[in-house]
Amino acid sequence: MKRFALVTIFLATTGIAIAYASAFLPGGVPSWAPWLLAACISVAMMALATLGAIGRDGRVGKLAIPIAITLLLMLGGFGVALAFPALGAAEPIVLGLPLRAAAVMYGIGVLPALVLPLAYALTFDTQTLTEDDLERVRAAARVAAELRASRGAT
Amino acid sequence: MTLASLAAPLGALPPGSRPTIVAVAIVYFLIVVAIGVWATRRTHSARDFFVAGEGIGIWTLAIAAMTATLSGFAFVGGPGLVYSVGLGAMFLVLPGGITNSMGAWVLAKRMRLLGEARGLVTVPDAIAARYDSRAAQGLSGVAILIAVIGYMATNLLAQGLVIDAVFNTGLGTGVWIGMLVILAYTASGGILAGVYTDLFQGSLKALVSLMVFFVAMGAGGGMTAIAHHIQAIDPGFLGPWGKLTPLAALSFFFVFGVGSLGQPHVVHKFYMLRDPRRLKWYPLLTTSALLITLLLYFGVGVAIKGQVAAGAIPPLVRADDATPTFLLHFTPPLLAGLVFAGVAAAIMGTTNSLMNIGAAAITHDLPVAFGRRFRNELLAGRLSTIALSLAAALVAQFSGTLVAFLGVFGWGLFASTLVPSLAIGLNWQGATRAASVASISTGLAITLIFETLAYFKMFAFPLGVSVSAISLVTSLLVFFVVSWITRTAEPLAPDVRLIMEV
Repeated sequence: MKRFALVTIFLATTGIAIAYASAFLPGGVPSWAPWLLAACISVAMMALATLGAIGRDGRVGKLAIPIAITLLLMLGGFGVALAFPALGAAEPIVLGLPLRAAAVMYGIGVLPALVLPLAYALTFDTQTLTEDDLERVRAAARVAAELRASRGAT
Repeated sequence: MTLASLAAPLGALPPGSRPTIVAVAIVYFLIVVAIGVWATRRTHSARDFFVAGEGIGIWTLAIAAMTATLSGFAFVGGPGLVYSVGLGAMFLVLPGGITNSMGAWVLAKRMRLLGEARGLVTVPDAIAARYDSRAAQGLSGVAILIAVIGYMATNLLAQGLVIDAVFNTGLGTGVWIGMLVILAYTASGGILAGVYTDLFQGSLKALVSLMVFFVAMGAGGGMTAIAHHIQAIDPGFLGPWGKLTPLAALSFFFVFGVGSLGQPHVVHKFYMLRDPRRLKWYPLLTTSALLITLLLYFGVGVAIKGQVAAGAIPPLVRADDATPTFLLHFTPPLLAGLVFAGVAAAIMGTTNSLMNIGAAAITHDLPVAFGRRFRNELLAGRLSTIALSLAAALVAQFSGTLVAFLGVFGWGLFASTLVPSLAIGLNWQGATRAASVASISTGLAITLIFETLAYFKMFAFPLGVSVSAISLVTSLLVFFVVSWITRTAEPLAPDVRLIMEV
């Protein structure tokens, strides 16, 4: 899983670089570049979250669900903004904003702010940091400190 | 300078409102000073000075992290940017719903545990522990120092403008008064004073932002009415990208999203948490505080545009006048005073954090990189805080447009130099020392060279492509490629390996 997350981050970063490189082409930014950039930024950020969320068993467990939901929200929000034509004053207002803007602002700015922090809190005790983990780290730190002290003494 | 516009409209406030604003400002500064005195009495060691003795609670951590993240830009420059480019300006803050959770998974637990296990005090300390490399620590210390001076100078100038606007001191005097107030509590109480003033300042910012948002929406008849007014005259403003190109808006999202993982003045605060199990609530608290505080950023920019669209007020001469104009026309004096205090709070919170990590770079990271240490790091930390503040105040006062130039690349320089080594490196045992050094050097070189060329108008990237984005993406790729090329069996210390595995 960790290898998958790392390769995904690398490929997404390469995609971001390609999207930026396309801006140097004669004739300006090609139409596919914003699509590539939006997709790769979304994938890179969620792959980073996945990389950090992978537990000692090498899996993300239940956290795959909120991370996948957020990825879909990001891809969906950016996709709506890029795919749908501007309707000007005729664009329907949804929750105080024109439809396409609402998809981006609420879909990417607000909904993940509800999903991810709750997922983090609900899984913290079992997947992020258990009492056992903490004790093991503290024991290892004590041993390492004694080792460094004894090296310093000699 | 985005805050310059605060000065003029204050003079135009209705008679009788200035005493209220001045009184609020005085009370605010007195509270900050009182917290500083209290913290000074509790600061006895370098660990107290740089990492608050690992003794703060989760509420303080969350609010302090939010306060360090949002500078005065969120209250003045930000609404001005929204007024100017519409919803495109939201792409600077839109990642905020994601970044705190992402940062918690990627960095928080490992930084906190590494800090405890190794007694770390700085972000470059973590890089040194991870890669067993003085070079990486020294280079990251250099990057932090360069970015800090620019960032601080920008914030001190902004603080000077606010003080001048409220107390009529003149800009130069305002810069020095502002610097001395922040310096007084930072040099004496260190980060302990910083985080507790941040708790007060952050709470104030959130409260003020919430109140202003409701006043702004109420003044325009609600968001739907405001949207209809704007759509009638300028539909592009409320388009998903505002008036930016999709590439430019997405670049903001990338730099402020992924780049958030490399902001040392925020990341450094993970060391300070008393109980690592309390990190459970970090994303929820920080994200909530951040979103509430950003309501002003969105609300004022859109409300002023709506008022202009409805013909209630004339178009602004300068976009940066959005917040002052709003205060002038729509808020009672007490709330206006609180907003001024909120702006000062935002600036002071960020500046204090920057002072602390800059002083740590001078006192700790650079000497350690050369195999030396100060005997009395607490005294050295206080003295270097003073030296750094004087340097930044001089830059703010005498360098003219250079200040804005220095301020621009602070975030980008932090991001491109620190994200790969921290965010990837603390989660991947295959990352190598050579990759860390190479990516930090790449971020430094690209940012400094291309920002300088752009400043002197000798080179510019195409529209929508920023130096920060190019620098960040390149340093990430360099980090991966060099790690794979130099892949060897670099032994990790057992405690560091365990922290990376849990």
